[in-house]
Amino acid sequence: MDILQALVHGFGVAFQPINLLLVFLGCLVGTLIGVLPGIGPISGVALLVPLTFALKLPPESALILLAGIYYGAMYGGSTTSILLNIPGETSSVVTTLDGYQLAKQGRAGPALAIAAWGSFIAGTLSVVGLMLLGPLLAQWAIRFGPAEYFALMVFGFSTLSALAGKNMAKALIATAFGLMLATVGQDPQSGISRYTFGLLQLEDGMDFLVVAIGLFAVGEVLVLLEEKSHSSAVMAQVGRVYLSLKEFMGALATFLRSSVLGFLIGVLPGAGASIASFVAYTVEKRWLGRRGRFGQGDLRGVAAPESANNAAAGGAMIPLLTLGLPGSGTTAIMLGALISLGVTPGPQMFQQHPNIVWGLIASMYVGNVVLLILNLPLVWVFVRLLTVPAWFLLPAVLAVSFIGVYAVNNNPFDLLLMSVFGLVGYLMRKFDFPLAPVLLGLVLGYLMEINLRRAMAISNGEVGFLFSSPIAVVLWILAGLSLFAPTIISRFARRGQLGGDEI
Amino acid sequence: MSDRILGLVLLILSAAYAIGARAMEVGFLSDPVGPRTFPYLIAAIMGASSLWLILRPDPEPAWPSRGFWIPFGLALLSLVAYAYLLVPLGFIVTTALEMTLLSMLFGAKPRQAAVGGLSFSVLVYLLFTQVLGVPLPVGRIFG
Repeated sequence: MDILQALVHGFGVAFQPINLLLVFLGCLVGTLIGVLPGIGPISGVALLVPLTFALKLPPESALILLAGIYYGAMYGGSTTSILLNIPGETSSVVTTLDGYQLAKQGRAGPALAIAAWGSFIAGTLSVVGLMLLGPLLAQWAIRFGPAEYFALMVFGFSTLSALAGKNMAKALIATAFGLMLATVGQDPQSGISRYTFGLLQLEDGMDFLVVAIGLFAVGEVLVLLEEKSHSSAVMAQVGRVYLSLKEFMGALATFLRSSVLGFLIGVLPGAGASIASFVAYTVEKRWLGRRGRFGQGDLRGVAAPESANNAAAGGAMIPLLTLGLPGSGTTAIMLGALISLGVTPGPQMFQQHPNIVWGLIASMYVGNVVLLILNLPLVWVFVRLLTVPAWFLLPAVLAVSFIGVYAVNNNPFDLLLMSVFGLVGYLMRKFDFPLAPVLLGLVLGYLMEINLRRAMAISNGEVGFLFSSPIAVVLWILAGLSLFAPTIISRFARRGQLGGDEI
Repeated sequence: MSDRILGLVLLILSAAYAIGARAMEVGFLSDPVGPRTFPYLIAAIMGASSLWLILRPDPEPAWPSRGFWIPFGLALLSLVAYAYLLVPLGFIVTTALEMTLLSMLFGAKPRQAAVGGLSFSVLVYLLFTQVLGVPLPVGRIFG
């Protein structure tokens, strides 16, 4: 199918009234999630998945809604970073550096506007990239057999472990823990029960939503219980959100450079929006050198991370849709949701489910426009939300979590499991473990094992088969090299500022 | 020190996990890899990483003060109680109670907490059951 023709078809899907409504709803809820403390994009998307099941949305509509929340949250996270120095998401941590400085100088308006424009431009560019690169990668990935898939997942997990968090041992433990959770339940090939401890409720395995909501939503509320007094302190004056043409033109090159960079980082399995925003900021700071006043309130210091994290969100759709390999916790949940709806992403996706792929791409164009319209005039409404007291907001988040978890199987056992993972999530945060690898391990563990076993069944147990094709060999080499990525990154940028939480 | 203890716990976990794999009974009809190999690989990765954690621990995490563990324990217990009470007492009552307790742990006055918890519970119950069509337990005691 010709790309242009496919895109027209996609817009046909995106402009269906229900899907238009869902794009709007996704962007709105996403922005709220980005603004409010205590709910990140991962919990937000996880909480909405059961709702898409309950409403019996078709897969394309479900994905359109979830993607809207995902990039809406990227967008909303910048608002609190700039106004209050509180990053709503880890991907907006770098935005606080210059954003808050600008707000203190009374230039919050231009800072918010440049974040909005950066997100819009990057979002649109990355959709174009997705459109052009996606089908190409899909054509290439058709040649993947079980051995290549297994190698690909090893590559994904090694980049993830290398880049998530500060301590690689902890990231590896988190990944292994996720894989362990994936082995709970009936073994798909021999049918025996593994690690169910005789519990019938575990026979079908652990539900990724229960784990996600427990680790992220409940764990976060428990951490906040300790901090308690984080309700909005000093409210910066927003003023009019505007951007002069001169300011816009001054940042244009930064927008473009950071978008491309963010997009490429987003495509890498395991590297998500946090890393993209961090790298873009650092690169831009180096690039501008003395021409920039980074750290003292430079508009380009907001433009760079905000364009990069949105572009990365778009780029992350490529491995998700063409290989079925999510690069972050949020996309892992989207993968889990798609699988539950009976759609397994892979190289055939562009042919077999054009409605989903092109509908999603077209809806992302629409979503970017919606966000721009929604955010520039309404920013003060979202800021006003921050005055909702923590004592109401956080218990309310938990109440919605209960509904989300209960709706999965209508079984109170899942609520117990959620509490356990809430405690695990609290401890993991305390010990500074990255949480996203657990989700990726859980969602991908099954595919990883099944591909290993298929490959071994083909070769009759000959291990060398895993390294027998050129593609597989390249992937194994990349997997090995990626373990050295932290050393390379730390050489060109000071580490330790990367948020490992929700990449 | 905390990291070292955690490393030891995780090491034991990996060992237990591997023993669990060994104990699996595999039939004759299994594929060449079988259900045990993948768990062994995972146990090896986690075991090796835990050893590394014991040898090279991070600096001590910032643990909360001792007084924190009481509200923390209460919050955790209430979550467990919620799972057991949801079906018998129904969504509205259980959620209102849970939210009231949590709001108070977050520093709200009892009346504020009760009003906030009850009104939010009723609101989301109506939203989910009536508007969105998601079934939630009514409560056995009411029916």
